[in-house]
Amino acid sequence: MQHAPIISIVDDDESMRCAIKSLVTSLGFGAYTFASAEKFLQSQHLDHTSCVVTDLQMPGLNGVELQKSLLAQGRRIPIIFVTAFPEERLRARAIEAGALGFLSKPFESETLIKLIDKAIETGRKT
Amino acid sequence: MKFRAIAQNGTSRDSRAGAAVPATTGALDEQQILLSTLPPSRGQKRLALATILVLLAAFCATVPFAAMPVGYIREFIPAYATAMFVISSITSALLFVQFSVVHSRALLPVSGGYLFSALITIPWALTFPDLFGATHTAGTTWGVLTRIWRLVFPLSVIGYTLLKDDEGRTAWPRALSYFAVLLSAAGLLVAADLVTWLATTTSELTPSGLLFSVIDRAQADWNALLLLLALFALALLWSRRRSVLDLWLMVVMCGLLIELCLIILVGRRYVVGWYAARVYFLVSSTLVLVVLLSETALLYARLARSVMAQRREREARLMTMDVLSASLAHEMNQPLASIVTNADAASRWMARPTPDLDEVKATLEQIRNSAYRARDLIGSIRAMVKRDDRNRAALDLNDLVREVLALTERELQRNRVSVEVELDEHLPFVNGDRVQLQQVLVNLITNAIDAMAEKKWPRILRIESAVQEPGDVLISVADTGKGIDPKIIDRIFNPLFTTKSNGMGMGLAICRSIIEGHDGRLWAAAGAEGGSVFQFVLPANTAR
Repeated sequence: MQHAPIISIVDDDESMRCAIKSLVTSLGFGAYTFASAEKFLQSQHLDHTSCVVTDLQMPGLNGVELQKSLLAQGRRIPIIFVTAFPEERLRARAIEAGALGFLSKPFESETLIKLIDKAIETGRKT
Repeated sequence: MKFRAIAQNGTSRDSRAGAAVPATTGALDEQQILLSTLPPSRGQKRLALATILVLLAAFCATVPFAAMPVGYIREFIPAYATAMFVISSITSALLFVQFSVVHSRALLPVSGGYLFSALITIPWALTFPDLFGATHTAGTTWGVLTRIWRLVFPLSVIGYTLLKDDEGRTAWPRALSYFAVLLSAAGLLVAADLVTWLATTTSELTPSGLLFSVIDRAQADWNALLLLLALFALALLWSRRRSVLDLWLMVVMCGLLIELCLIILVGRRYVVGWYAARVYFLVSSTLVLVVLLSETALLYARLARSVMAQRREREARLMTMDVLSASLAHEMNQPLASIVTNADAASRWMARPTPDLDEVKATLEQIRNSAYRARDLIGSIRAMVKRDDRNRAALDLNDLVREVLALTERELQRNRVSVEVELDEHLPFVNGDRVQLQQVLVNLITNAIDAMAEKKWPRILRIESAVQEPGDVLISVADTGKGIDPKIIDRIFNPLFTTKSNGMGMGLAICRSIIEGHDGRLWAAAGAEGGSVFQFVLPANTAR
C-alpha cells in the first residue's frame, strides 16, 4: 500500500493547527503541524508534503511570503490559505501566485476537504 | 495577545480624546470668537495705547503751529468726506454683521451711529461753504450738520456702552435680527435725509428752523458740550471696557476728542490746526477699521484651524473604532473556526467503521478550550466598555445627537439622506461616557446610511429623543432602508453577525455592550413605514 499523502499545516494559532490536523488525519492523511512558516521551511518534511494548509497572517513570514519562498525553491506544492481576516490585496496576490484555494475562518470543513482532494489528485497526475 | 494590545491602545486614545471633549465640542462658544465679546489680548491693549499716545504726541506737536494759516485747499473736504464715508460704511457693515450674529442689542446703536456718520458726510461735504461758492444758508447748514454729526456719534457710542452690560443675551429669531438691521438702516437713511432737508430749507420762522438756528449759534457753547459728551463716552467705555470692540471705540473717542480740542483751540478755518484735527480723526477711524478687519481675518483663521483640529480628532476617534472592530473580528474568528473544524473532525472520527473515541475526546476538549477563549474575548470587550466612572458626566443627549449629526454630515450629504430631527427639549440629563455614547450614535447612523444606500428613494434618517415613563431617556434612530429580516432580528447584535459584504459584524455588538454598560437597553424593530428603527433607553440622571 502506498504511503498516505502528507498534509503540512502552518498556523500560529495552536487550536486551529490541532483542529485541522484532527480533521485531515480523520480522513486518513498524514499531517505535520508548524507554528510558523520559517519552521516549515526548515523542516525535513518539506519533500514529503503533498499539500500545505497555511494561515495568511502570521508573525514572521506570512502565508503569501511562504508561497513565494516555496516557488523560489522550485517547489510547486499546492497551497490552501485560511485566514481570519480576509484581506483582498493579499488574497489577490495569493491566487495570482497559483494558490489552490483561499478560505475565510470559520470555513466549511467540506470545502477544505474538497480542496485537499483536488491537491492530491493534481499531485498524482504530475 | 494581539487583540489586547490594540484594544488597550484604543481605549487609552479614546479616553484622551474624551478628556479634551468639554473644551472643544458642542457649538463653538461665541464668547470666545467675536470682536464684540472677545476680551482684548495684551498686545492689542498695547497697540491701542500706543495709537492714543501717538495721537496725543501729534496733537501736542501741532498746538504751537495750530493757528498758522495754510490757505484754502479745495480738494481737502471732498477727499476727507469720501474717505470718511467709505470708512464709516465699512465699519458700520462690520458691526451690523456682528449684531446679526450675536443678537446683542448694544451693537445696534453703534452700527447705526457709524451708518449715520457715513450718510451725513455726503450733504456735509456738498454744503461746505467754499466748495460751490459761499452762501449764508450753506454755511449755516454745514455748521449744523457738523454739530449733528459730532452729537450723534458719541451718543451712539454711549448707547452701546449702556446697553451692552445689562443683556440677558436673549436669542432673537434670525429673521427678526435681519429685520432690525434693515429697519435701522432704512430709518437712518430717512433721518439723514430729513436732517439735511430741514437744515437746508427751513427758515427761522418754523420750530425746526428755530432749533437749527439754536444749533448754529453759540458755537463755543456747542463745542464745549460736544467735548463733554465725547469725554463722557470715553469715560463710560473705560469703566465698562471688556471687549476688543470697546478698546478700539476708546481709540476713536480719543481721536474725536483731539479733533474737537484742536477746533476749539483754533476757532477758524484753513489753519494748520483745522486741517490736522480732521486728519487725526481720519487716522484714528482708519486704524480702528484696519484693526477690526485684521482681527476678523485672524479670528477666521484661528477658527478654521480649530475646526480642522476638531475634525481630525473626530476622524482619529472613528479610526480607532474601525481598527478595534477589525482586530476583534480577527480574534473571534480563530476560536470559531477551530470549533467548527474540530466538530467536523469529531464526527468523522465517530463515523469511522471503528470509531476512535480517544480522538473524539481530544477533539471535544479542543472545542471546549476554544469556546472558553471566545468567552474571554467577549469578556474583554465588556471590560473595555465597562463602567469607568472617571469618564462619566451628566450629558444632554440632545447635544450629543446634534454633535454626531454634524460629524456625520458629509456622509449623509454624500448619500443624499435627508435628516429629520425631533428632540424633546425637556430631556433630562443622563450620566454617561460622552465618547462611548457618541460611538453608539455614529454606528447607528452609519448603519442607517448603509441600509438606505441600496434604496432609491426616499432616504430619510429620523432621530428622536423622548422621555420614557419611569425616568428613562429614549433615543430612536429610524431609517427608510431595506429593513431587517424578522428571522435575523434577534441575531444582529451578536458579534460577527453581519449582512454587509465589507462588514465585520462588531458594530452593533459593541453598541449593545456600551449601552448595557450604561445600565440601558438597545434593541431594533421594524419601522412603521418600512426600514428599521434602532432604539436605546438610558436611565435619567436623578442627581439633577
